[in-house]
Amino acid sequence: MNDDKTTHFGYQTVAEADKAERVRGVFDSVATRYDLMNDLMSLGVHRLWKRFAMQLTGVRAGQRVLDLASGTGDLAARLAGLVGPTGLVVMSDINAAMLAQGRDRMLDDGRVGNVRYAQLDAEALPFPAGSFDCVTIGFGLRNVTHKERALAEMHRVLRPGGRALVLEFSHPTAAPLRAAYDLYSFQVLPRLGRLVANDEASYRYLAESIRMHPDQETLKGMMEAAGFERCDVHNLTGGVVAVHRGFRL
Amino acid sequence: MTTRDLGYAGLEAALNGYLGLDPVTRERLAALHGRTVGVEVLGPGLILFFTADETGALQVYGRQEGEPDCWLRGTPLDLMRAGDRTAGADQLFSQRVRIEGDSGLAQRFGAILADIEIDWEEHLSRIVGDLVAHEIGSAARAAQDFGRRTGRTAEQNLREYLQEEARLLPTRYEVKELLDAVDALRDDVERLAARVERLGKRSGEVGEAQ
Repeated sequence: MNDDKTTHFGYQTVAEADKAERVRGVFDSVATRYDLMNDLMSLGVHRLWKRFAMQLTGVRAGQRVLDLASGTGDLAARLAGLVGPTGLVVMSDINAAMLAQGRDRMLDDGRVGNVRYAQLDAEALPFPAGSFDCVTIGFGLRNVTHKERALAEMHRVLRPGGRALVLEFSHPTAAPLRAAYDLYSFQVLPRLGRLVANDEASYRYLAESIRMHPDQETLKGMMEAAGFERCDVHNLTGGVVAVHRGFRL
Repeated sequence: MTTRDLGYAGLEAALNGYLGLDPVTRERLAALHGRTVGVEVLGPGLILFFTADETGALQVYGRQEGEPDCWLRGTPLDLMRAGDRTAGADQLFSQRVRIEGDSGLAQRFGAILADIEIDWEEHLSRIVGDLVAHEIGSAARAAQDFGRRTGRTAEQNLREYLQEEARLLPTRYEVKELLDAVDALRDDVERLAARVERLGKRSGEVGEAQ
């Protein structure tokens, strides 16, 4: 890899080679309080966003699903319910601390039959082409250094007819909402981070990384460039979050 | 995303709260892991999709891509009565609750759902609005409470009318009398047949001897 290439880490510009390491630092830091912070950050609405994404998966009993950047496994837990005992959910994360949290939670909840765990990099998936009926990534794509590589990999591991869902923060469509959202993200959120997780810097990164993430149309274009067809975008909460969906046909 | 989604999420949380205290029902649901049941409440046009997971918890959605394993369609009253074990089979066979797909699954799931005692009206009101939910709630209560008590009375009144007033149907006593009489007659006929046979044999023996 060429170390001279740069990428975004929040509002900072860092060497591409460093981004993964710095993102790992952020998530190592927030792993144990990730769920609590999610609730605080989104005022609990992240549960509704995830439910909405679930309704678009079309996942049914017996199917195989790869959940990338699973974190503590909110999506994976729901997917494991939908695929039934004959299906399979691969819960994955690049971060060992997050994956361990997620696995502990799944085991504590009694979900043991149809879930497997893998620590992996979304840019280089260790699965043969056509392995999955559905690939999901919830609030993870913006932390990936080369998003286009991750999207191409998601496309590759899908079966023909399979679909990928990207649930990610996006750009509010209405100006008044954008102002309130900025205030919340840059004034309230880092302070919450300091109070709850004792880590202001990590939460400032989260807010900044959301701003640097491509907007709805750009991401849709990236998915199409990765080979996805019939791509659609669903804005949630005024575009604060969007679900991008594309099919491999 | 609308306030309806909040309603579905609330209903799901309430159901799982209830199920958390009811391990037996959870076990019944866990056996249906991955199966999806669609319920359409006719009238308000409310659609719910239920999927049970490995732990016996439910996922509740308002929309789903593709068809569920089965559909239960009926008015609020009929759907609630589907859970009543004595009336349930009648409801299903008289086609007041319409079933599509896996009927066994529909019957098991319907019975489990109707047994869950949460405030359906409260939760459905967040999906379909207060007024409609009140109608559903009233119907459900009518079916569950009033129906349980007065259903029996109504059945008794109807039976009395048909048996005693209209004389269209026999009473239990009359049926018993008739069945006893039929039994007696059948026994008599069998005895007579045996006697005739014996007489026939004897006359045959006499004929051979002569």
